[in-house]
Amino acid sequence: MLIAAAVLDDVLRGVLQGVPPGSVYAIIAVGFVLAYKTSGVFNLAFGAQAFVSAALFFHARTAWGWPSWLAFVVSVVVVAPAIGVALERLVFRHLPTDAALAKLVITIGLSVALPSLFELIVGFEPVAGRTPEGLLPGGAEVFYDVAGIYSFSRNELTSMVIAVVAVAGLGALFRFSPLGLQMRATVESPRLTELAGVRSDGVAAFAWALSSLFAGLAGVLIAPRFNTLAAPDFFNLVVVAVTAAALGRLVDLPRALVGGVSLGITISLVQTFLPRVAEHAAWLTPIQENVTSAIPFLALFALVLGSRTLRSGRDHVDPLSGVSPPPPPPAAMSRSPLLTRATLIAGVVFFAVVGLVVFTSADAQWMFLVTQTVILSIVFLSVTVITGFAGQISLCQGAFAAIGGFTVFQLADRFDVNVMAAVFVGAAIAAAVAGLLAVPLVRLGRVWVAIATLAFAAFFDAVVVKLPFVGGGATSLLQGTRVPRPAIGPVDLGDDRHLLAVALVVLGITALAVRRLRDGTTGRMLAAVRASELAGQSIGISATRSGVTAFAISGFVAGLGGGLLSIQQQNVNYATNFSPYAALFWVVVVVSLGVRTVEGASHAAAGFALTDPLLFSGVLLAWMLRSPDSVPDVFPLSPKWRFVMFGLGTIAFAKHPEGLVENGKRTAHRRVEQLLARRRSAPGGAPPSGSNTALARPHPPSAAAEASP
Amino acid sequence: MTALLDASGITKAFAGVRAINEVSVMVDRGERVGLIGPNGAGKTTLFNCILGVIRPDAGRVVLDGNDISSLAVHERARLGIGRTFQRIELFLETTVRDHLLVAERVRQGHGSVWRDLLGRGRPSRDELAATDRMLELLGLVTLADEPIEQLSLGQGRLVEVARALMTRPSLLLLDEPSSGLDGSETTDLAATLRAVQSESGFAMLLVEHDVELVSTFTDRCYVLDFGKLIAAGPTAATLADPHVRAAYFGTTPEAS
Ligand SMILES: Nc1ncnc2c1ncn2[C@@H]1O[C@H](COP(=O)(O)OP(=O)(O)OP(=O)(O)O)[C@@H](O)[C@H]1O
Ligand SMILES: [Mg+2]
Repeated sequence: MLIAAAVLDDVLRGVLQGVPPGSVYAIIAVGFVLAYKTSGVFNLAFGAQAFVSAALFFHARTAWGWPSWLAFVVSVVVVAPAIGVALERLVFRHLPTDAALAKLVITIGLSVALPSLFELIVGFEPVAGRTPEGLLPGGAEVFYDVAGIYSFSRNELTSMVIAVVAVAGLGALFRFSPLGLQMRATVESPRLTELAGVRSDGVAAFAWALSSLFAGLAGVLIAPRFNTLAAPDFFNLVVVAVTAAALGRLVDLPRALVGGVSLGITISLVQTFLPRVAEHAAWLTPIQENVTSAIPFLALFALVLGSRTLRSGRDHVDPLSGVSPPPPPPAAMSRSPLLTRATLIAGVVFFAVVGLVVFTSADAQWMFLVTQTVILSIVFLSVTVITGFAGQISLCQGAFAAIGGFTVFQLADRFDVNVMAAVFVGAAIAAAVAGLLAVPLVRLGRVWVAIATLAFAAFFDAVVVKLPFVGGGATSLLQGTRVPRPAIGPVDLGDDRHLLAVALVVLGITALAVRRLRDGTTGRMLAAVRASELAGQSIGISATRSGVTAFAISGFVAGLGGGLLSIQQQNVNYATNFSPYAALFWVVVVVSLGVRTVEGASHAAAGFALTDPLLFSGVLLAWMLRSPDSVPDVFPLSPKWRFVMFGLGTIAFAKHPEGLVENGKRTAHRRVEQLLARRRSAPGGAPPSGSNTALARPHPPSAAAEASP
Repeated sequence: MTALLDASGITKAFAGVRAINEVSVMVDRGERVGLIGPNGAGKTTLFNCILGVIRPDAGRVVLDGNDISSLAVHERARLGIGRTFQRIELFLETTVRDHLLVAERVRQGHGSVWRDLLGRGRPSRDELAATDRMLELLGLVTLADEPIEQLSLGQGRLVEVARALMTRPSLLLLDEPSSGLDGSETTDLAATLRAVQSESGFAMLLVEHDVELVSTFTDRCYVLDFGKLIAAGPTAATLADPHVRAAYFGTTPEAS
């Protein structure tokens, strides 16, 4: 009897404790769904937007000494919606309705670019251990007792009150204002409102403003829960948002609301009771210590696997989805065989020259950078396979690479295994994990693959890394995850030159293998399914099987690169190299520079590793100007510009899915061809004939032509 | 002997509204059957149910005496159902020949990651010959190495047909192949389909709004209206049926 009462007390306390974070999650979920429903944008930059408002609020309070209300008005009421409207007007409204992959890629780019851009403009630097403050003074110190069970802090109370006000405001808006009514119509069926002539565009901008307002609000409210105000933590909010929103199948606002609150309560209940279970089961400890990040992952996975509606997600609920006009194909230029050969030759020459210079005269620092570029090229080839060939966005490539790194560390540390052999074992394990992960996912469609891989990355980061047989547990906290660089036969990995040579050989073999896969059956099937899953299946391709294959290959390549990286750095360095947010940038760089080609991965690696020491530091400019003194004062630039540059580079993906470098090459090649053609036909002055213009014709049939009997 | 395709009692509702309701169709080997009906009658939905793109709420699909209702799309395709799409579905960023090559490769069923890695994944001479033959049949030879983006809609439809035929189907589902084609292109396509059919003897189920084409091309036809089968029988007789004319052409039975 007494025990039962005690348990009941705990349950009540757990529930009460879960409501304040739950109400913030609800705000997040509602904001997320708003943007998704009105513009079809699965906004992974939602967390980044929340970060900008939270950081602006914090900075205005501490650095500029503004009063709380002013900081709140500026950061949440003014800046947040302004960012939303700007994104909608400048980027998303120009994308075709069904460019789901491009939208996703762009929001990923934005989630990297926005925080850095903000930090550069405002001059904000995250300060470790400086807990952000809440809206009201003494938010964390003043408590209000509820029936002797649980005391809400002032911050928690503020969260709940604001959430209620925000949701009530949204409800009133939907019910009573004309714009709100239009928005509701759009939310229910975007096609319907378009066909009925409602200004869907204006509504979309308004919805983005509202959604971003919610993002800002959530950011400011949740900030006091973090020790340090930094972008990566906020990025993970997306997982929470999607989990809550998924409870409402991403389309149902009230259910998303309920989803948010119940997620908060669930986490709090697990936090209350799991320690008691974990006392008896040691393997639960890492989960117990990181419940907040583990639960959304587990919940999302359960939803993804268990929900029939998600699995049969193709039967759209929008009754008019069947009549949408066919998509215009992306304006892709094809690549001529001549260009391929020229690229290959140029690439080999370039590598030979650089290799020679590096081998003979580079100092240790440049040696390190060049080797890192080579190894990252391998890692990035994994993105080429999964995103470029298979058309899937995977946000857990960092986890696959980390599996490679940790395997090398564990095998060398515990069993004294040869590190090069360990690299291949690690790659095989990564391939197995990637393949298994893909089995339930690939049937769900691209958006879900992206989000589930993100959730997996978050779970790996929060829980798996902490397991003793992965990240080394408590011992590695003291000693780090050290990896030796022994001499193996004639090859001395301790010698930088030998290591570079090994890395180059592995890169060469991997690049060749990837090329062969692309040109073989595997690549052809992937290209077919990427372009049209439906048509691919209709000729007998199993989309699941080819997706799983692509994931396994990609996992293998990532694991290979991750293992080599940890050998080079003599340490796994998980946090800097492989954490979800760091690996997010991989996808961004590869996609923005060239995701379809094998050499694109190397461009991306060079962009990733060398932009900062070569371009931003002013070294290259000084060399070109032949004097260090005449380099303008703006140099050295902040390394953060990298994030901004490549992040915004993803916007081009919608028009040029082949990537900026590749697109530049194709354009240049065509120019040269035209020039040559003009020369040849100079006397008669005949117009240059583009290679294929004769057949070119607007591709998509008009909607009217399709529909008329 | 059993029919080649026997789909019976197919029902599918979207958000509570029945797009097709207890529809049964049968196609014999080598037959040409039409499926007509006004916009939104449920023709494409029926195709989707036959191929498994959509799981019907009720009904079963039997191919060659085997119940395939629980199979996935690609499994049904491998058992011999080919299809073209009303809303054209091509493999962007590849060439015309690539479309046929991948279909041929899948049909043969050998092709694995290991073969590719050993450098044996490139098209073989036999495969190239097979695609050449198909390209010739459909008059696509000059376009063989064109990127698919450069094609007109009519040419795109031909590529879809060629790709479907490449899988050597026993049943070909054609969803409005003539939309986007002009009169002479349509006649050519019909002639080509006849020619290929006389060679390999597959059956066709044709969804078409072009009544001319349906009446000259098919032997039998089914008529759908609001998801219900309202008529079936020899094409000429069915098209003359007053109820069909009312549903399809908007003339009331009394008026005609
Ligand atoms: N995925 C879907 N979700 C909701 N409703 C759908 C879906 N697909 C089709 N419908 C609806 O089912 C009905 C039948 O559509 P279907 O496309 O099968 O008609 P159809 O006979 O092929 O028409 P058309 O001649 O225009 O091609 C329509 O009312 C359509 O709106
Ligand atoms: Mg149709």
